[in-house]
Amino acid sequence: MKQTFTKKMWRETGSAYFLLSPALFVLLLFIIGPIVFAVFLAFHKVQLLGTTSFEFVGLDNFARIANDTRAKIALWNTLKYVAIVVPCQTILALVLAATLNAGLKGQKFFRIVYFLPTLTSSAVLTLIFMWMYNQNGFINHVLEAVGLPTYNWLGDPDVALNAIMIMNIWSTAPYFMVIYLAALQDIPDSLYEAAELDGANAWQKFWHITVPYLRPVTSFVVVMGLIGTFQLFDQSYIFSAGSGGPNNSTLTVVLLIYQYAFKTLGTMGYAAALAFALAIIILIATLIQRKLSKEESLY
Amino acid sequence: MGKTKWMATLGIATLLFGSLLAGCGGEKSEQANGGNKQGEKVEVTLAGWGGNPSEQKLLQQTIDDFEKKHPDIKVKYEVIADQYMDVIKTRLSGGQGPDVFYLDAFEAPALIETGALEPLDEYVTDEFDIDDFEKPMLDAFKGEDGKIYGFPKDYSTLALFYNKKMLEEAGVEVPKTWDELREAAKKLTKGKDVYGFGVAPELARLYYIAESKGGKVVTDNKASFADSKVVDALQPIVDMHLKDKTAAQPNEVGATWGGEMFGQGKAAMVIEGNWAIPFLQDTFPNLEFGTAELPTINGKKATMAYTVAYVMNKDSQKKEAAWKLISYLTGKEGMKTWTSKGYALPTRKSVAAELGFDKDPLRAALVAGAPYATVWQNGTNLPIIVNNFNNQFVSAFLGERPLADALKEAEKTANSEIESQ
Repeated sequence: MKQTFTKKMWRETGSAYFLLSPALFVLLLFIIGPIVFAVFLAFHKVQLLGTTSFEFVGLDNFARIANDTRAKIALWNTLKYVAIVVPCQTILALVLAATLNAGLKGQKFFRIVYFLPTLTSSAVLTLIFMWMYNQNGFINHVLEAVGLPTYNWLGDPDVALNAIMIMNIWSTAPYFMVIYLAALQDIPDSLYEAAELDGANAWQKFWHITVPYLRPVTSFVVVMGLIGTFQLFDQSYIFSAGSGGPNNSTLTVVLLIYQYAFKTLGTMGYAAALAFALAIIILIATLIQRKLSKEESLY
Repeated sequence: MGKTKWMATLGIATLLFGSLLAGCGGEKSEQANGGNKQGEKVEVTLAGWGGNPSEQKLLQQTIDDFEKKHPDIKVKYEVIADQYMDVIKTRLSGGQGPDVFYLDAFEAPALIETGALEPLDEYVTDEFDIDDFEKPMLDAFKGEDGKIYGFPKDYSTLALFYNKKMLEEAGVEVPKTWDELREAAKKLTKGKDVYGFGVAPELARLYYIAESKGGKVVTDNKASFADSKVVDALQPIVDMHLKDKTAAQPNEVGATWGGEMFGQGKAAMVIEGNWAIPFLQDTFPNLEFGTAELPTINGKKATMAYTVAYVMNKDSQKKEAAWKLISYLTGKEGMKTWTSKGYALPTRKSVAAELGFDKDPLRAALVAGAPYATVWQNGTNLPIIVNNFNNQFVSAFLGERPLADALKEAEKTANSEIESQ
């Protein structure tokens, strides 16, 4: 087929772009622009204070990552965090959704209650949890009452990151639960009826119908979870007052980026390089996940 | 959560780009504001971190006095509540910095080096009487070029705070040396409820101990704290926690800082500064406590001094007015008002003599420390060195690894970070 661009088509395209221009302008200014600028920064040594200077250093900033012990610790902490939080929150979300979809009495009430943590701002949530995690706080009192060992949740490098993990699983799982709930409504009842006729019990129905049917949603949940957990910042920032302590145990990649960008002078370029590297890591993780789940629909 | 993360990323990116835009904008408005007409009121921005309400009231009073004396100047006082230095650095690089602001001596060398601050030597008059300042505090704000970039508004040293009742019950005298303190702590400790000594395992509070045996924490602007002399000097602190079990850090007993730990009666002795006095008096009015000069190490007296100055933004368009403000606030009259209640100690000798804090029962120990105190500052790389020291020292303090190993690794990390700058 031969395509001709008539005058009318040009005019239509033109007016379309004209109408899009406010959105495009915002997109360019606030999304594309900063991304391009961040990439620019990643290849420069930047001094913003006093005499502003941009000195081209090529790949030096990236080479520096390889020799940076703190970057390695941050990456290791983040990977550990991702490896534990993503599976836990996904399974918890699925279980919660399935329970709340089983037709129990008062399930609407419980849906609301479970969803509440997601509505709370993560900063407020962190502060409340820090209060509960206090050496003489609620959680240690409960542990003591049931005869379990207590921990110095905030001050012990071995448990500080776990404390953040527990808090985040608790607060994020309900968000994904809602997504699972929506997907559960889509599963035709006929499938369950057929399974019942074949004599399947509740567990078998869950394992052989619900889980496979939800696979595309699970894929989505895992990808969003990966992106979210790789970017852990606010919780560990508040937990450690910005230092990533005790003993670098709550230092995450984004927190390190923040420290280099705004705390130490003249390392904005290196911070941008770290951010660039993190973006690539997330991209790779997402690609691997997609390969594993072999599911390309939905997103 | 995924969503908030995206928002945060977007926020940071926008901030980056926004500061660039703001930078361009700032230059234009500077030109527009260039010449101030006579008779027009000049507005000077003063930024600082907030103190307690009584401190805020005192500062407001000082500012009011200034405005009365200079009817053509209006002071806009801004409180930056959290992450003060991050905010100031971002605003300065965006061209939106305040005209006059607080600067901690610890951060001063790095900020002076960037050239973001106005040297103040030209403005100084004889009347301002520069020799009246305590020299170590003033030197903290001198650049490499020998120019003065800020005038210290106040300072505090560290002193030993002790709970009178607990010491009496245990029958211990106020310790005069570190060995005595260690013995006293043993008698004062009651299991895990009360520790003899509350300690902050961070370099800002341990620096004078670290250097007490002749080692240096920083040499040629690089970390050198893995020196065996530094390790030896710090080992007793770790031993008190791990072996004697007579010392603890505040978060082990559920407190956020030493003053709180001490006030709650979970530590019989802590080492804190002037800031703890009003806090303890307000929050724990029934607590009977005393202060003493820090115990000596090897017979030598040592303590830390923390000082904060008023500095001027180099990009300020109202430098004349800004200087008038700084010279009033750090002048004899302004400093007297500001330090009159003893929330802060005056850096001018004449004001100190007039207010007589050296005779105040609680503050005498702090004032006595001033002549031999080490000012908390050491070159442009100290922030990096501190960060690495603190992180690793905690692991030794908690008994995860020997102190020597921890400090060796921290020194290596700090120096590789400094070298790759």
